[in-house]
Amino acid sequence: MEFWYALVVGLIIGAIFGFILQRGRFCMNSAFRDIILLKEYKLAKAVLVSLAVLMVGFAIFAFGDVIELAPKAFKPWAAIVGGLVFGIGMVLAAGCASGTTYRVGEGMVGSLVAGIGLTFGAVITAGGFLSGAKAYLQDELVGDVTPSGSPIIMLIVGIVGLALMFFFWGWPAIKRKRDANEPLIKTDNLVEQTFKKAYPWWVTGILIGIILTAGYVASNGVVGITGGWMNIRGWFMSYEDPASSVMWSGFIIFGIIIGAFVSAYIGGEFKLRVPKDGLTLLKQLLGGILMGFGAVTAMGCNVTNILGGVPQLSIHSIVTGVFIVLGCWVAAYVLFMWRKD
Amino acid sequence: MVDITDTLDCTGEVCPYPDVKSKRKVKKMNPGEVLEVLVDYPLSAERIPETMESLGHEVLSVDKTGTSAWKILIQIK
Repeated sequence: MEFWYALVVGLIIGAIFGFILQRGRFCMNSAFRDIILLKEYKLAKAVLVSLAVLMVGFAIFAFGDVIELAPKAFKPWAAIVGGLVFGIGMVLAAGCASGTTYRVGEGMVGSLVAGIGLTFGAVITAGGFLSGAKAYLQDELVGDVTPSGSPIIMLIVGIVGLALMFFFWGWPAIKRKRDANEPLIKTDNLVEQTFKKAYPWWVTGILIGIILTAGYVASNGVVGITGGWMNIRGWFMSYEDPASSVMWSGFIIFGIIIGAFVSAYIGGEFKLRVPKDGLTLLKQLLGGILMGFGAVTAMGCNVTNILGGVPQLSIHSIVTGVFIVLGCWVAAYVLFMWRKD
Repeated sequence: MVDITDTLDCTGEVCPYPDVKSKRKVKKMNPGEVLEVLVDYPLSAERIPETMESLGHEVLSVDKTGTSAWKILIQIK
């Protein structure tokens, strides 16, 4: 990949992704946590819609030989422990890897602290003093299962998923609107709805699916967040000459922050915000570090595994995803539901 | 003009604290009382009214008071 290609295309795809994340308030921490905490399912539905769109999108481009599918080899302990730690970490950090990144663009200082923690945690796990633990979980405790990415099955699962969701969630909503004589889609203020208002969950899900498919096509690989933060750290510390190192995933991160900033600014939602007590910042830093360890151990954060691996039906990513959700629920229960006052 | 019984200031707080705190707060209040919630986090400004309505309380108003700042008035039922 050429430097300028990575710069221009990475920034553009990252910026569109960041814009959608901010408009859609798309954060997997909120999505999973609020299932048990607030009995609120909209973001979780958006995740499911995006997964189905990604399955169809990846399958189409794989059929056309535009991309090569690369589901990860199954490393059970890495997936279980990495997923759990990541899930606990994102509750403390108040955002998953992508949620944390887009909120930096909204001006949330706590999320920047979490992002720094994420980078630090990832670096010490990849090559620092936690690398032994990672290697043990990834290599000592397993027999690898060779994955098989089958575009036909992905296509079928994706289309059936979309049809089921339309039947159970979309159709009833359309009928309700029709009975109430409301227009299905309000077109009179489309510009304002696109640039200033929060998106409905299904719009968010479809758009996330499309932009991440575009990201895969542009780089022949899944979009990742944690790797991007590590990329930026390497760039700042200039282990490599910035102009010669291809910083695709790092430019995606810069793009997300820029896109989220533009979106928040137009919507009147950009403000520098610092949590009132230092303890919150400390929790977010710790949460970020846990996410960094989890992401490197499980070979991917929530974006790489859930939005990149699950659509390819990678067993590793599916198991990681399940344990991210479980870790999130355990942490949310202990932090917010244990005390009944 | 409504009489505000109590104010919950959640500015600077990250998700899900504004949501959880307001949920806990209304549990302790009596029917008819009005709670004012101040938030500066977009998702919470959208979520809190939805949660309150699903709990059966009445959302009197959601005002955007400035850049990323909202005031939500809830009447306890």
